[in-house]
Amino acid sequence: MRLAGHALVSRAAVLCAVATILLLGACSHAPADEAQSTPPPPAAAPPFVSYPASDYQERGPGRDGGTLRVSTPIDAGTLDLNLLADTATKWLGRTIFDCLVYLDNEGNITPWLAESWTVSPDGRTYVFKLRHGVTFSDGTPFDAEAVRANLARIRDPNTRARMTTAYIAPYVDGTVIDRYTFQANLQEPYSAFLNVLAQSWFGLVSPKQIHEDPKSIAEKPIGTGPFVVERYRRQQGITLVKRTDYAWPPPFMKRRAGPAYLDRIEIEFVAEPILRYVGLAGGKYDFTTDAPPQNAAAIRRNPHLVLSSRVNLGNPVRNPTFNVTRPPFDDPRVRKAVALAIDRDAIAQLVGFGEYRVKTDFLSATTRYYDPAFRDVLKYDPAAANRLLDEVGWTGRDDEGYRTKAGVRFVAEMITNEAAAPTNSTVAIKSDLKKIGVELHLVQLPAPQLAERRANNDFNVSGGGYWHTNTPDGLFIVYHGSQLGQNYRGQNSSGLNDPPLNDLLTRARHSSDPAELRDLYSQAQRRLTELVPVVPLYENHTIIAYGRHVHGVVHDTSHNTPFFACMWIAEKDR
Amino acid sequence: MNPILRRILWRLVAGIGVLWAAASLTFVAINLTSGDLALTILGGGDSLPTPEVLARVRAEYHLDRPIPEQYIIYVGKLLRGDFGESYHLRIPVTKAIAQQIRPTIELAVTGGSFAVVTAIVIAVLTARRSRWVRSAASGSELIVSSIPAIVIGIGLLLVFSFYFDLLPSSGQDGWKTLVLPTFMVAIPLITNLSQVLRNELEEVLEQPFITTARARGLSDAGVRLGHALRHALIPLITLSGFIFGNLLGGAVFAESLFARQGVGRLMSTAAGNKDVPLVLGVTMLAAATYVVVHLVVDLLNAFIDPRVKTT
Repeated sequence: MRLAGHALVSRAAVLCAVATILLLGACSHAPADEAQSTPPPPAAAPPFVSYPASDYQERGPGRDGGTLRVSTPIDAGTLDLNLLADTATKWLGRTIFDCLVYLDNEGNITPWLAESWTVSPDGRTYVFKLRHGVTFSDGTPFDAEAVRANLARIRDPNTRARMTTAYIAPYVDGTVIDRYTFQANLQEPYSAFLNVLAQSWFGLVSPKQIHEDPKSIAEKPIGTGPFVVERYRRQQGITLVKRTDYAWPPPFMKRRAGPAYLDRIEIEFVAEPILRYVGLAGGKYDFTTDAPPQNAAAIRRNPHLVLSSRVNLGNPVRNPTFNVTRPPFDDPRVRKAVALAIDRDAIAQLVGFGEYRVKTDFLSATTRYYDPAFRDVLKYDPAAANRLLDEVGWTGRDDEGYRTKAGVRFVAEMITNEAAAPTNSTVAIKSDLKKIGVELHLVQLPAPQLAERRANNDFNVSGGGYWHTNTPDGLFIVYHGSQLGQNYRGQNSSGLNDPPLNDLLTRARHSSDPAELRDLYSQAQRRLTELVPVVPLYENHTIIAYGRHVHGVVHDTSHNTPFFACMWIAEKDR
Repeated sequence: MNPILRRILWRLVAGIGVLWAAASLTFVAINLTSGDLALTILGGGDSLPTPEVLARVRAEYHLDRPIPEQYIIYVGKLLRGDFGESYHLRIPVTKAIAQQIRPTIELAVTGGSFAVVTAIVIAVLTARRSRWVRSAASGSELIVSSIPAIVIGIGLLLVFSFYFDLLPSSGQDGWKTLVLPTFMVAIPLITNLSQVLRNELEEVLEQPFITTARARGLSDAGVRLGHALRHALIPLITLSGFIFGNLLGGAVFAESLFARQGVGRLMSTAAGNKDVPLVLGVTMLAAATYVVVHLVVDLLNAFIDPRVKTT
């Protein structure tokens, strides 16, 4: 799914300085409390990042009552989460809906609405034993038929889901064995099947609503989750109220089996990062699902606020993406040279304000089967970049200092999103490449044209690369040759189709043996540092912030989504 | 036939022509720019639709047909009063607009009225005054009109909402939420409107009949309000009509900044998503608004100045 960075004007960022000064007057001494802001990533980052299980679990009973006021950047225009793909909507899945399974802090699958499951030796048949006594908020009981109806809906092309259909592509159909036993039939083994079912976007919807009024899911979805929709006003906000008979949180979370602590959640769509920050600091909001990195340091300094930053599973943020099917980037040495020339520490600092962990390889430091052995291969090294380009034959120089081969300058067109100005990372990449004699010509395009040119492989380099998912199988989606094709619009926008890599990723998809998976994914990560279809930049982070009066804040284990059923507000409300 | 009635009738006929032209031009403009529409409907480059899903979308919206055929299908539906379903929101276009129209009308009425009244006050008070009064007025108008509206909006928010905590920074329930958005949309309008109106007033104030009125012993206020302003009314009403028409088409920055619903944001999102039915629906609404506003302006002008009838 994608990351969304939304700012109406970058000018607003400048104004946040003004806001900070204005708000400094409001700060006083810090009250004692157990919640601490997570520190920014250290300069010499350790290879792995892991969070203790207790970070994802309820620490103690909370206080009932109160309303949590939340700001979030984006209104997707629908609450039908099964249809969406935006990272910015993931929090919906941890309020209105529940999933079949849940991950633990190490990425193992744990029960949720499915109490247990077995996988056949050939990896194509999953049998789930479902939890009894669960109901949707319209009173419909949760059972095997409900699971079947949900997966059938997601699998149906007429549903027009943007992502979930592709995520369960190997799923053929389901069999209701008995009321609480469901069998999923896959056409081929798929090791990521349970991982994707644990994602917010696979939240289960009432089968009654699916059959009788599927259009109403967009405005008043009926799930089994701890909250129900009271009102949804497009572009303005959502009001959620707690479900008093909720009793089935994920067991791994060690939460009490009762309803949410909060009575209500009032969510407002606040696109401007500065207003999310100022609104939080000024007490208008208790919580933001997306704290702006430029304000992270100020939030940490503010004794009334807590900031929590987490590295997401799966793919890190990449920029740029090379078109490996077309000169000059059909040569892996040229791609490698560009990767070596980009100062990713500087870019992470520039766009992340010290909040982003730099990344030089292809799986995030929190992902299971991440292998840090190759993380120095693509480290910033402009001298090596120059040597590589000399070796390839770009040895001439023109009067502007750009490299030439047979009298022709090294120019590459970079397509990016249309905006008032190119992003800071794009500009930094352009200037880094100038230093090794490569001219990057930035072409800003409206989103539909950009999407089409990316899909048709009609570019030299493309800005950005945000797709990530909660499993190492994210490598399959972004780099496997099967994700290409005449009518295919996948996320393999580099056009990479490398038989050895395809083989490793396919075998990993089909395997369920942890030792074999570790080996296959390690080889795939090594192969990617040779192929360099993209330049890894920094980790994918989820950064939330909230007032110190908000307690019980835990992230979910799949996408670091805040889990609202655990939150409560202290007696002394402000 | 009553000339006024004939005038209205003629305007309405022309209005239908305007609507048809607006719909056709928008249709052409959207289809001239390249971009895979089916992919865009499914979330553009930030999604992972399967080939089957893409094929289903192409068939459902006739995207596999030639553009002229799509146009005929579209106009045919329009003639039957069917604006279609938003690609992106998947609700009828009329419903999507209905959900957003009330806050737009509220803001257009408050913002437009406040701008017009304030501009009149400023212009009447400053026209043909001493040099420093006029330079101060037109100088500050120039400065304010050069500030982007979004900066004015953020400034208003920081000062009145976050620092002094006088007014809410977002939402649309209650009159208080309207105050800051009203200022944000009105301030840039005031500066332009008062400049035009002052020039108009100054021209009128130089006319011989003003001197006559003053010679009859009429007070300065009486001259300005009773004589000069009346003569400046026609350009004022024409400009106000334009302003209201414009505001009813939505105020995208104010809506976005203050987390309000509104047609402006609906339109900007729809245009970005290539949501053809929704873009066309909002365009038709804006065109219809203009037709009505112009008719009203026309009739008002004819009422104020009988000579206008001959034009």
